[in-house]
Amino acid sequence: MARVKYRFNTPAGKVFDAVNVTVLIAVGTIAILPFLYVLAGSFATEYELTTRPFFLWPNEFTTDAYASILSSSVFVRAFITTIAVTGVGTAIQLVLTALMAYPLSKIDLPGRRTIMSLVVFTMVFSAGLIPTFLVVKQLGLLDTYWALILPAAINPFSLIIIKNFFQELPKELEESAKIDGANELRILRSVVMPLSKPVLATFALFYAVGIWNDYMSPLIYLSDTSKWTLQMFLRQVTAASSLTGEDLGNELPPPAQGIKFAVVMVATIPVLLAYPFLQKHFAKGMLIGSVKG
Amino acid sequence: MTPRKRLRAPLAILTVTGLALTAACTSGGADDGGGEDGGDGDDALSSLSIMAPYFAAVPPEEDDLIDQALSELTGVDLSVQWVPNTAYGERTNVVLAGDDIPDVMVIQGKTQAFVQTAEAGGFWDLTDYLRSGDYPNLVSENPDVEEASGVNGRVFGIYRARDVIRHCIILRADWLANLGLEQPQTTDELFEVARAFTEDDPDGNGQDDTYGFINPAWPGSIGSNSPYDALELWHGAGNLWTDEGGELVPSFTTDEWMEAVLYERDLVQNGYTNPDYATMDPATWNEPFVNGQGGIIIDVQSRAPQLVDLFREQDPENFESYVALVGQPEGPNGTFAMPTSGYSGFLAIPRSSVETEEQLEQVLTVLNDLTSTEAQILLNNGIEGDNFTVVDDYAEFNPDRQDFTDQVTGAWAQLGMNVAGYNAYSTRPETPFDEGLAQLRLDLQAEDLENAVFNPGASLVSDTYMSSGTQLDTLISDARIQFIAGQIDEAGLQDVIDRWHSQGGDQVIAEMNELYSELG
Amino acid sequence: MATLIEAQAASGASAATLRPQNRRNVRETLARYRWLLFLMLPGIIYFLLFRFWPMYGAQIAFRDYIPFLGIEGSPWVGWEHFETFFTNPDFPRLLRNTLILAALSLFIAFPLTIVMALLLNELRLNILKRTVQTLVYVPHFLSWTVVVSLTGLLFAIGNGPLWTLLNDVMGTETNFLADPAWFRPLIVLQDVWKNTGWGTIIFLAALAGVDQEQYEAAIIDGAGRWQRVWHITLPSIRSTIIVLLILQTGQILNTGFEQIYLMSNALNRTVADVFDTYVYFVGIQQGSYSYATAVGLAKAIVGVILIFGTNWLAKRFNQQGIF
Repeated sequence: MARVKYRFNTPAGKVFDAVNVTVLIAVGTIAILPFLYVLAGSFATEYELTTRPFFLWPNEFTTDAYASILSSSVFVRAFITTIAVTGVGTAIQLVLTALMAYPLSKIDLPGRRTIMSLVVFTMVFSAGLIPTFLVVKQLGLLDTYWALILPAAINPFSLIIIKNFFQELPKELEESAKIDGANELRILRSVVMPLSKPVLATFALFYAVGIWNDYMSPLIYLSDTSKWTLQMFLRQVTAASSLTGEDLGNELPPPAQGIKFAVVMVATIPVLLAYPFLQKHFAKGMLIGSVKG
Repeated sequence: MTPRKRLRAPLAILTVTGLALTAACTSGGADDGGGEDGGDGDDALSSLSIMAPYFAAVPPEEDDLIDQALSELTGVDLSVQWVPNTAYGERTNVVLAGDDIPDVMVIQGKTQAFVQTAEAGGFWDLTDYLRSGDYPNLVSENPDVEEASGVNGRVFGIYRARDVIRHCIILRADWLANLGLEQPQTTDELFEVARAFTEDDPDGNGQDDTYGFINPAWPGSIGSNSPYDALELWHGAGNLWTDEGGELVPSFTTDEWMEAVLYERDLVQNGYTNPDYATMDPATWNEPFVNGQGGIIIDVQSRAPQLVDLFREQDPENFESYVALVGQPEGPNGTFAMPTSGYSGFLAIPRSSVETEEQLEQVLTVLNDLTSTEAQILLNNGIEGDNFTVVDDYAEFNPDRQDFTDQVTGAWAQLGMNVAGYNAYSTRPETPFDEGLAQLRLDLQAEDLENAVFNPGASLVSDTYMSSGTQLDTLISDARIQFIAGQIDEAGLQDVIDRWHSQGGDQVIAEMNELYSELG
Repeated sequence: MATLIEAQAASGASAATLRPQNRRNVRETLARYRWLLFLMLPGIIYFLLFRFWPMYGAQIAFRDYIPFLGIEGSPWVGWEHFETFFTNPDFPRLLRNTLILAALSLFIAFPLTIVMALLLNELRLNILKRTVQTLVYVPHFLSWTVVVSLTGLLFAIGNGPLWTLLNDVMGTETNFLADPAWFRPLIVLQDVWKNTGWGTIIFLAALAGVDQEQYEAAIIDGAGRWQRVWHITLPSIRSTIIVLLILQTGQILNTGFEQIYLMSNALNRTVADVFDTYVYFVGIQQGSYSYATAVGLAKAIVGVILIFGTNWLAKRFNQQGIF
């Protein structure tokens, strides 16, 4: 397919390509530079961070900040916990969302409009922190990992978008599967889901990032520090310092800038790596064309 | 349409199923909750849970060395629910709404939620218990601070004591020496130093690249220990409230306040203050000082050793010559010194977890034990022979156990009340210079304490202030910066003060004065 | 009637892919719906448990909620909190600031995301495409506190790289972070930097589903690049764009809190104050949950009206709405 495109290249097209590549590389660089500063800063000394305004390579290289955070077993355990909860939680949330999105994508489903209206309503209005907390408590989920997964299991936004994608899939394959006697669950599993890999990969990523970056849930649902996730520690070191004299005990220096940066890195890089991994699924959507052909 | 309508039935069934499940879950959950409550209520406590903030990067682990030592010391199994200090307020509100509330909670301030809960009977009134003398370590050495931590004369918690004097002026000592200037002793001399640091090339590099004051964007509003608050208090404006002939008036309505704000405006308009005073991140406060851009900081004394350490890294030979620490100066209307409130939050005891008086007495006994010298050392220094040793009555920390020490000072110390005095060890100064600095700080504290101006309305809680105080105070603190920046003139500033009065301020004044005459 | 119109409207958009439906008899249909409804069961239970049950607690908007007394034990105050909110002298200013920021996001940030996705889609070198995609989505993972402190660093007076640049261009020594005129541009800039790359993901997923044969056919027909984008690429993400637009109108009063709070200061607060920061000050910082809930409720009602309104509009113009 790519070959066809190249054959029809025009001079104007080449100019556009050149401009496009330049612009996107520039945009990519602007996007990544501040991140590289944080990365460089996490390996710099406190003195260098205080005296140099902006740099991409530390003059004096030190891994003290990382040694300091990784020496804490609490932190290491939180790291493992976060990966596990994110993995399991993403799977559960994605399956629940797809299960609900599929029936709703059938435009003749009775009650569909009512359900969709209610879903949209919950997207705009949430009852708030304390009422949700009380429900989670009533369900006996406090201090369990379920509290990090279930209350946000189906994001109305994701549900609506996935539903929309399902709705646009070619109906021929479903019809023929139905004629072969497949039930809806099987159609969903063996026809709809494979065809929707790009969108499912996208929302797997959204859900994973949602769980990974969630700090409110562990904060209010988990009082047992041994169950905490990384965000609890990330927030603690990066939250804007409002430390005025009185807050602190007698002789406590503020958290070192280097430690901040190191925690940001440790808490960000794993989830960043999820994207290139999921990216390959986006290309697989090409399938649709070939199936139809 | 008819077949469709009939098909609504399965949907209805589903809905009912869902509701039934919901109901089942509800009752199950409620039973659980009830069971726990019943278990808690009856007998003496064998364990004690405390909710507290931590400032360290990571909280201590359950049953770490300090936890074990404290549990042994107090005879109950102590467990602390550590909450990041950055999210402590949110967590407090959620915890109060649930019903598995810890036995003791650190409360960071008199927020509306706390005051309402306390007045509704949610926390034990400890006033009489603390004054009875049954708990000698909990008898305050400074009853004024205890009263200030209370709500209209009633004490709902054991306050966490802090040094009463912490503020000072920190200057570039080498710049003073280069220019042949004395350390400023009055606000006028301070102004002159700021001028000289800006205009007279204090670093001798021949360039106009320095300024005097370094002021960050302050996270709090008025009366929150900002450099501006200090300058105003030194001018005699009072500490948030001023007693004028038996009447409380807000300090920003005094002539002295206006005088001070004009002084502040001159500092900015003449370029004697850092140009980004309205936006500078307080976390970067040290940077312009160390980098030789600015030379004056008004802040807590403990910033001085931090700065000394940064210079030690930059210039190990002469690090002693950079930082000068000066006490609070005399103002044009007299000598006034800015104190802290003397406490930082308090430990309160919720009635829903500690239900009987016997249990309360037991909890107070444990808190009394937690304030003993032995416990104070555990909370503030750590385990002797492990992370520190005692040398000349000072604690010398073991660098190999720095992470553990960080958790002690950054988390466990938050449980320290020390209302009857701080008896743990101080950190051993590294060099004679550091020892001198520590001694100077103590001397300045003693000196400034004599001139301290306390907030006469500290213990009074007005309803209107509780519900709209933050907005009201922000009006004033914003207008102050706008005035200093030249965005508004004196008339504009007065307009904002009038708005403060009309939007609820007058009611706050009336309520405060009513309480003041009743209790004061 | 409503269902009928809705079904027609919805099928209108996807008519091309729909086969004429055979009339099934009632029993067959029932059998089919049973399965579908069964699949939906977990989702419905989820919504009942975690989305609707807590709404019972939203009644604290009409009470003076004191946690210790519980929801039902707290005193009933009726519409008091709503009155306070709407009669607040700052209300017009808050509304104005909120709407301006929402409009900027809708008319600048949102289209930029689409443009970015289209540009990425036009990249031929796969490795470059993937690399750029990965780079631009990185900023999404830095929290607002980090983004704001990096902004402070870049615009630092004297040595911030961007301050120096702008200073040379404009020849003034402005403190951009304190200047009210610069507040909104900076907010949009941060938003675009942080979220554009991330936002493209959803469009790229939609583009992955585009039938490549269509492009080939178009090329053979002599369609130029721009024509291909206009006639094939854009229509294939049209429904995604519409759905996102509709959903965004519902969020118009939610500017987000953290970014704006962190970027506001004494000198720019007249343009920086929005509903979300106001609720934070009054509701959260002072611990008045009832008030915060009341404001949330008022905002939600506006959001619901806007979503349903734009959805209706979308259908009027024969587009596929969200439901």
